[in-house]
Amino acid sequence: MRERLRAMVPSVVPIVLSLVGCFLAVVVLRGWSVAFDAFGAMFAGAFGDWPKFVDQGNAGLVLRPLGEAGNKAAILTLTGLSVAVAFRVGLFNIGAQGQLTVGALAAAVVGAKVDLPAVVHLPLCLLAAAVAGAGWAALPAVLKTTRGVHEVISTIMMNWIAVSLVENWLVVGPLKASASGVNSISGTDQIAASAELPRLFEGGSRLNAGLVLAVLAALVVWAFFGRLTRGFGWRVVGLNPEAARAAGVEVGQVVVQAMLVAGALAGVAGAVLVLGTEQKYPTTLGAPYGFDGIAMALLGQGDALGVLVTSLVFGALRAGGTRLQLFGVHKSFPELIQGFALLLVAARLVWERLARRLLPDREPKHG
Amino acid sequence: MIELAHLTKQFGGVTALDDVSLRIDAGERLALVGENGAGKSSLMNVLYGLYQPDSGTISFDGVPTRLRTPAAALARGVGMVHQHFTLVPTLSVAENVVLGHEPRRGLGLDLSRARTEVAATCASLGFELDPRALVSSLTVGSQQKVEIVKALHRGVKTLVLDEPTAVLTPQEATELFAVTRTLSERGLTVILISHKLKEVLTFATRIAVMRRGRKVTEVSPQGTTPEALAEAMIGRAAPVGSHAPATPGPVVLSLHQVCSQGLVDVSLELRAGEILGIAGVDGNGQRELTEVVTGLRPFTSGVLTVAGQRVDRLDPARARALGVAHVPEDRLRRALVADLTVEENVSLGRHTQPPFAKGPRIDFAGRRARTLELVNANDVRPPTPTLRGGALSGGNQQKLVVARELDAKPKLLVVNQPTRGLDIAAVEAVRERLRAQRLEGCGVLLVSLDLDEVLALADRLVVFARGRAVATFERATFDERLIGQHMLGVAHA
Amino acid sequence: MGELLRSLVSSVLDAAPPLIFAALGATLSERSGVVNVGVEGMMRAGAFVAAVAALAMPTPLAVVVGMAAGALVASVHAVLTIRLRCDQVVSGMAINLVMLALGTFLLEALFSSPSSTPPITQLPGWAGHPVTTWLAFALPVLVHLALTRTAWGLRVRAAGEKPQAVAVMGVRVGWLRAGAVLASGALAGLGGAVLSTATLDRFEHHMPTGLGFMAVAAMVFGRWTPLGATAAAVFFAFGDALRISLGSSAPGLMPQGVLLALPYLLTLVVLAVSGQRSAAPAALGVAWDPEVR
Repeated sequence: MRERLRAMVPSVVPIVLSLVGCFLAVVVLRGWSVAFDAFGAMFAGAFGDWPKFVDQGNAGLVLRPLGEAGNKAAILTLTGLSVAVAFRVGLFNIGAQGQLTVGALAAAVVGAKVDLPAVVHLPLCLLAAAVAGAGWAALPAVLKTTRGVHEVISTIMMNWIAVSLVENWLVVGPLKASASGVNSISGTDQIAASAELPRLFEGGSRLNAGLVLAVLAALVVWAFFGRLTRGFGWRVVGLNPEAARAAGVEVGQVVVQAMLVAGALAGVAGAVLVLGTEQKYPTTLGAPYGFDGIAMALLGQGDALGVLVTSLVFGALRAGGTRLQLFGVHKSFPELIQGFALLLVAARLVWERLARRLLPDREPKHG
Repeated sequence: MIELAHLTKQFGGVTALDDVSLRIDAGERLALVGENGAGKSSLMNVLYGLYQPDSGTISFDGVPTRLRTPAAALARGVGMVHQHFTLVPTLSVAENVVLGHEPRRGLGLDLSRARTEVAATCASLGFELDPRALVSSLTVGSQQKVEIVKALHRGVKTLVLDEPTAVLTPQEATELFAVTRTLSERGLTVILISHKLKEVLTFATRIAVMRRGRKVTEVSPQGTTPEALAEAMIGRAAPVGSHAPATPGPVVLSLHQVCSQGLVDVSLELRAGEILGIAGVDGNGQRELTEVVTGLRPFTSGVLTVAGQRVDRLDPARARALGVAHVPEDRLRRALVADLTVEENVSLGRHTQPPFAKGPRIDFAGRRARTLELVNANDVRPPTPTLRGGALSGGNQQKLVVARELDAKPKLLVVNQPTRGLDIAAVEAVRERLRAQRLEGCGVLLVSLDLDEVLALADRLVVFARGRAVATFERATFDERLIGQHMLGVAHA
Repeated sequence: MGELLRSLVSSVLDAAPPLIFAALGATLSERSGVVNVGVEGMMRAGAFVAAVAALAMPTPLAVVVGMAAGALVASVHAVLTIRLRCDQVVSGMAINLVMLALGTFLLEALFSSPSSTPPITQLPGWAGHPVTTWLAFALPVLVHLALTRTAWGLRVRAAGEKPQAVAVMGVRVGWLRAGAVLASGALAGLGGAVLSTATLDRFEHHMPTGLGFMAVAAMVFGRWTPLGATAAAVFFAFGDALRISLGSSAPGLMPQGVLLALPYLLTLVVLAVSGQRSAAPAALGVAWDPEVR
């Protein structure tokens, strides 16, 4: 238990420090009262307006914000897991963006062009996205194992290629939605209703099944690394590939398999975006989802449950961030909080030392 | 005269130096002896300004001085040749020598002057070194010469040599001591760190003995014996391993004209119940041999037979299945994962088999039980299964690795540098396990750069030079001089 | 045809300098042994600060301020990786994320605009191109000479290959590396400043649009040498210029998106054919602990 607590310090302390620091920054820029109101609004937007809910009994006050938060958290979790799985075997998957892009497109195409009952259609869309994402990750993996090309460079290239091909060609060209009547439509065709991720609640909340998918994925990844011998082998590859090879683990295969899993997870994230909220591939996905994935993986220290928890926190802050604009603070403020937290997390040694001081060993240290 | 007074130094709670005082007289040849981890190197790294002492003072000719960096030590005429070479392989000899005090012309580096000056220093020492040669192209013996040139080029008056003969052949070692003796006669103060008592007794004019971070005694070489020194080093009579005659069984490993990257036409045979030692200068194919046999390196031609089975392709998993166990030279690189727990490290390599696995799942209880058995039987301390592997001391890490590998009941045990960096008690424990293994009918392939170790343990010995097996000796005919000549490739067959 | 060639050369001369400066910066840092994938963030800092400073001072001076901003961000990287021995890739990515968010936040906070700063006077030109373009010809040679022909360069290279060798000769590895990282940040800042003061006349919210990552790729492509990195940067800029001119002169030939993807695809192919591991400095990414035992 003590070990668990100690392991959490390097994540929790930076996030809290960053929140406090950014709050103080708003105080300096806009004054105390605005800062309080803005952060209050952000938290209400993030976790629900509980005081008002208790007053008025309107469940929507809580469910709606939590729904938005959950939808954002689902994407963050899946991209975060994508980066974390690669991280666990010692790879830096900067390519989640590209994998997510092709996954989103695959889901949009299968969702719109195929006509099937929902029981088959939705899983097929998810599968298509996973395969597309995995395929996009396969090339860097193979280049790494056969040619020694560093995955950081190759996945960056693959990101550019994905975005260029998808957003500058396919979505504006061959796959552009057919214009209906006088309205010109941007992006691809709308997906069929049978491909949509179902909403979890009627009415107030827009929360969709993407979050269920994300939580399941986190649990599976967690169990794989913590409970299965194969997952143990993967971890050894990440910690010391030479030792893994000497222990009979096929390092090259593990690298390729892990990248495929990482790509599939990012691809599914793209599918959740399309099938859950966008309903099509829009002109541009716009946001740096891949970067967010890196942030979540690092803040969660590469641990699947850590990724899930940090994604829930930052998904909520993101959802609440839109309300900041009323107070003259840009809605990307939560991203700034996230960035600073990450910078602080990077100073890992400091927090580990702090953790040892806060929660010292009970037995005397062995020399 | 240099005086070290009451020096104390801790590394993360471990005391490396405990109130050490030592006087170094100008012109003497002082030897610093002690076990691995006794504090010899730490003491000299403090004198060289690399480590900052927690307390205590260093005085030069009576003037207390703070040495914040090696630059300060060099300015006071102290130079040091480290046990692990500090040369940049991609730079030339001249560039390596002048690094840190480069001759300049205007803004630029005056490389031609550097070359001339370095050539002059080499000539004055009688070293044949090309200042233009890349360090990566030099032999180990020549690299050590570059290290000495580096120090003397700075005009040092006191030279520290840290285990200088650890990787040299007997001939190279003799040559090194001849040069050093000449320098000493010209007035250089020499401090020799070593645990080889023979060379210490012939070379030094004074001997200081260290044990567990303390200086325990000072003696003159005339007034002592190797046995007395060893006893002072470890605090009790030195354990002596006995060597029972071998009773060889069937062949467990045979190589017939095996070639691979780094190996040329190697043929050798190892039988159950014997220890085959491989001697050679570092980088002459020994590591490649162990890698081929354990499946870590592919062989390109020849016939390899492991445990009676001819294999065309070998990978580490197959080798393990055939009964090969491996204790590699650098345990933290290949054998042990610092960030895994002790029990996870114990399961490494057999993590998919009982008692470490139940089907696809990790068997946590089985793993814990087997780990406790092993750490208790092998005196691994502390015996905590959940401790990080990296938190164990080097000796305990090695004991854990050896215990794990032997737990697989191997037919063939491949060990490379099994006792490097261990203290005498741990060295003897590991050697005893190897001897016991041999008596139980396991074939042991022993590679060590320490010729004394090979001589002490092997029943037969094969000398490697430039990737070839150049000579074979039976235990009865071990001849250090002749072996050394073969290691250098200068012997006539 | 001559017309096409002339326009190609001209657009390379405009597009290459930011990439060249940033690639040189990345090279300096990595040759000293510190991985720098934070170039993107350092460029963003340079671009933003230079554009803001130019509102209050002559543009050339503002570019220098932009360089200082790049160096300031690099100093965070230096403290994290050298002093606190953090993972170098993680620190660089963290810097990128912070600068991405900080740029957007400050743009909104200072100028109440989501897209760009107010316009400024552009950098003066010479022979039809900004002065920085001509600097981009000279600087690679200077950095090459500094690395290969000076004592400092020798030490930096040694620190990237084998820091112990530098330390035992009395030179402080940490400070040496910190200097290289700061210089790296200044160069990346310069690259960013060129974007906002020469290529355009304002800071736009998306700057530097991944150019920092391209610079890192150029460095790898150029096998960690200043001249090689420069050649790679020019190659990337040429690919981009070719795309633009082909897109306008022969619009039906290939879809714009495919053309856009081509330089990246080509980079991948070249990396795959040449392999890369061997060229990296041996101690790259390994934190230096002077009291390691």
